[in-house]
Amino acid sequence: MPPTLPDSRQVQALMEAVQAAQTADDLTDAVEDLSACAHPMAIPCLIQVLGFNNPGAAVAAVDGLVAIGSTAVPAILANLDEYNYGARAWSVRALAGIGDLRGLPLLERALAQDIGPSVRRAAARGMGGLQPHGLTAQQRQELAERILPQLKAACEDEEWIVRYAVAVGLEGMDHWWQPSAAQRQRLLDTLQPLVDPQREVAPVVWLRARLALNRLTTAAPVARA
Amino acid sequence: MSQGTPLNEAQALDWLRQLEDPGQRYYAAWWLGRMRSRHPEATPLLIQALAERGPRPDPASGIDEPNPIARNAARALGKLADSRAIDPLLEALESSDDGLREAAARSLGQLGALKARRPMLRRLAPGPLVAGAPRPGTSRLMEPCEALLEALGALGWQEEDGSTITDHEPLLAVVRAYADHERPLIRSAACRSLLQLTREDRWGEQLVHLLQHNELQVRRAALLDLGATGWRRAGAAIARTLAENSLKLIALRGLVENSPARNQASPSPSPEEAELLVAMDDLL
Repeated sequence: MPPTLPDSRQVQALMEAVQAAQTADDLTDAVEDLSACAHPMAIPCLIQVLGFNNPGAAVAAVDGLVAIGSTAVPAILANLDEYNYGARAWSVRALAGIGDLRGLPLLERALAQDIGPSVRRAAARGMGGLQPHGLTAQQRQELAERILPQLKAACEDEEWIVRYAVAVGLEGMDHWWQPSAAQRQRLLDTLQPLVDPQREVAPVVWLRARLALNRLTTAAPVARA
Repeated sequence: MSQGTPLNEAQALDWLRQLEDPGQRYYAAWWLGRMRSRHPEATPLLIQALAERGPRPDPASGIDEPNPIARNAARALGKLADSRAIDPLLEALESSDDGLREAAARSLGQLGALKARRPMLRRLAPGPLVAGAPRPGTSRLMEPCEALLEALGALGWQEEDGSTITDHEPLLAVVRAYADHERPLIRSAACRSLLQLTREDRWGEQLVHLLQHNELQVRRAALLDLGATGWRRAGAAIARTLAENSLKLIALRGLVENSPARNQASPSPSPEEAELLVAMDDLL
């Protein structure tokens, strides 16, 4: 990058390239370049790309929004498109990747109600990826009390990939919850129906749940140290 | 199409039993397959529906009407895992309706119907320039090559009497000819089949190459074909492919579950499997 150009002019040029792209591949390339600079100026443009029905470009835009992080959350929430299902799904994925608590109500609604398995799976994963900075142990405990029953209910989801994401989400909860041994046991108990090949029909789900269980049980002493 | 959806299995069976409303029969056949009905009457009723043809064949082409009820019945029978369906499906494989032959071939593969290997091979044996030639005036081929190739790969080498085929070359020679077909979807199906039958890396490499095809439809097919083979060396290439994450996740699940390296007795993932699972996590 030429160091003489001001940062915002670069971003402006990259946004113009996104608007000017003629083919799906060009669009994906342009969005990847824009996302790579992770500049807040790009937020409206990246949100717009979520509605383009171009999976490659949308993946890149989600990556960009996740890289920008919390700064992007108010704009994502303000621009939710109730009528564009695909765009809403990508928004949930971006919020799940960012992990900002302001996105949690949307993740909760998506996990419980969304008709698209890809949205429910992103929401389940997102609950494990929350970044509750600055919360006290008591507040984190309350957050866990709120989320655990929702992931437990989603163990009954009819789609294997959602149940898979629940295993990932439960494992992820451990990172932000940092529960005591007794509380961690509740995480392990919630994983049980997914670990059991008699109850879980998809081998990949019980393998993932077992991986989560193994990691949680072996990581426990280290985390306490 | 008929109004409303059957609320339960009993109603779906009623809809398939009646003969007045073809729309209801069509929908009921689909429903029973989708729900993997285990009702004892489901298979016999679907077998009856499989025999149903359009009112009259088109005299000019000699080709039947599209037979939507029979096609749906053929698809449903592949999902119900009832071996009583095999002989009727073999009959459907000889239909002049290539759409029905396609559905029958897929279902015979799903049912693991070893009896179907010979007739399917016979259909493919004339080669890509004959069986794989475009059917004039349509987008189809003379034979449903994709379905036939995939079914042959799924059947493997076991014989009906429990023995194993020792001379692989006659079958492989037929399938190999389609690995150079002009249509990438046929090449993908042939490579999938050859990879399942031989476990030779070169077929997996060709499938990985198709993951970079400029048509999304081809990349999608190659993803699903790799998943079906469980060829684990494709893991990183699958994760990178420009396609929907949902399909990439299905393909990676296939690598975990369908690989010959999977130890069925182990409740925990091997290190190689754990690596695939981590790749899946990133796509959620």
